[in-house]
Amino acid sequence: MANVFSKALWDQRRGIFGWSVGVAAVGVMYAFFYPTMNTPALADFMRYFPQELFTAMGISDFTTAAGYLGSTSYGILGPILFMVFGAALGSRAIAGDEEAGRLDVLLAHPIDRARFLVERAAAMIVALSVAGLTMFLAMVAISDLAQLGTIGAANLAAASAHIVLLGAFFGSLALAVGAATGRRAWAAGAVAAGGVLTYFANTLGPSIEWLAWSRDFSPFHYYSGGQPLRNGFQASDALVLGGATLILVALAALAFRRRDVAI
Amino acid sequence: MSTNVVETHGLAKYYGRRRGLESLDMEVRAGEVYGFLGPNGAGKTTAIRVLLDLIRPTAGRAQVFGQSPRAGGASLRRRIGYLAGDFIVDGGQTSRQLLEHLARLRGGLPNGRIEQHADRLELDLDVRIGSLSRGNRQKLGLVQAFMHQPELLVLDEPTTGLDPLLQQTFLLMASEARDAGQTVLMSSHVLSEVQQSADRVGIVRDGVMVAVESVEGLRNHAVRRVEIRFDEPVAEAEFSALPGVSELSLSGSTLRCRLTGRADTLIKAAARHALESMTIIEPDLEELFMAYYQGEETPQGG
Repeated sequence: MANVFSKALWDQRRGIFGWSVGVAAVGVMYAFFYPTMNTPALADFMRYFPQELFTAMGISDFTTAAGYLGSTSYGILGPILFMVFGAALGSRAIAGDEEAGRLDVLLAHPIDRARFLVERAAAMIVALSVAGLTMFLAMVAISDLAQLGTIGAANLAAASAHIVLLGAFFGSLALAVGAATGRRAWAAGAVAAGGVLTYFANTLGPSIEWLAWSRDFSPFHYYSGGQPLRNGFQASDALVLGGATLILVALAALAFRRRDVAI
Repeated sequence: MSTNVVETHGLAKYYGRRRGLESLDMEVRAGEVYGFLGPNGAGKTTAIRVLLDLIRPTAGRAQVFGQSPRAGGASLRRRIGYLAGDFIVDGGQTSRQLLEHLARLRGGLPNGRIEQHADRLELDLDVRIGSLSRGNRQKLGLVQAFMHQPELLVLDEPTTGLDPLLQQTFLLMASEARDAGQTVLMSSHVLSEVQQSADRVGIVRDGVMVAVESVEGLRNHAVRRVEIRFDEPVAEAEFSALPGVSELSLSGSTLRCRLTGRADTLIKAAARHALESMTIIEPDLEELFMAYYQGEETPQGG
């Protein structure tokens, strides 16, 4: 019986709905610009700029549907939204409730702390999945209208799965920091700092010799490095993100079991 | 084998350098109502939260039903009903939604149990918790602690925010719980809130237990004021040497004094004369408590 899990989802139903609509809307809005951006004039214009600049901005090319979506909906804003949604869920799961004084009553009940945390982590991952699924369905729905037909539903599904995993990774990072410290601000700060650093490690790292190694430690590398919009689901990348998520949840549970609960 | 439901020995808790508990020895016997008294900041809440395994002691040990709260884990907490000193829950749900969730965490409750307890305290279950008054929120806290009829009730300042009528209802609930074989540990910073239903009280000050007494025993060596009107003047010497009598004053045929302990010898001495009236003012236990709280000399006996 997963009471904590189902209760968490039920309590967050409005937030999940709002975020799902939001990420789908952002994805769709970008996508609708593809037909207007996909012009020879823009391609010519972009040639004037050094390729490194676009790489740093996470932009590949605007001339193919996969390149365009990979630079926009699934390139910058999409991952950021999932990262922030994950951080919001992950930091609230333990630290947020603890700072509000709400954990006392719940943890005095006959439920193991580690299990409590794992059930809330599972709810977080399901919430992110709902948002990812909504985004996927919205993209499929407008696929023909926005001339995205070359990507195909399977690759859109793959990219959406990857974006959910990215959100889950940062969500579990927030969860772990929050579970260890009890501070929501620290949890959010860890994601903000970690997100910015690893984002640039992925985009800039490869072009700076002494930083080249850093890309392997960036979740963004495992999110988009295999180009799921072109090549479909990248099992090994997904395994890295999923594995790291599980490790962070396990560490969160261990830290949370050991310490005092604040009022 | 002891029949103590709760036992702590040298229990200490420090938050960094700040003291929560210094060294607490406490014993709560099976089937009693134990009043855990002390001024704010004395360590009552700290001790209680150790019993629920919400915090871990720095030193010393605590046992509930013979198990450490840490080792006992979830199965030990199944036997405990807990009311937090600051009962805070998500305000976006109704009381019914919360109570049904908490009941499920305990593996379910018989149908109607929630309503039965809510009716008793006149709590409307279908109002959003966020819009409840402080008193109503406290009622909700009491319902969730009592509803599964646990073997041990641990209640941190249970009467906070309750009006006098509901305080009476609560005290009745505590007494009934004892009659049903449950053990009740409740904290308070005022004696009058618990003396009516508590069998024994423990007084904690600065993280240390300074006195454990039955409420009856407390009353017995508390100080009472006595006034006796005789028909005719009496001799001071007859009364001044009696045990427990002090601050004796005689004006005409009226005798006034302070009396500590039993009233027997004073009454028998007075009975040798013709009496018009006799007044014994009930001991002010609060006054006694202030003495304990402030760490002054405590009354003899015990």
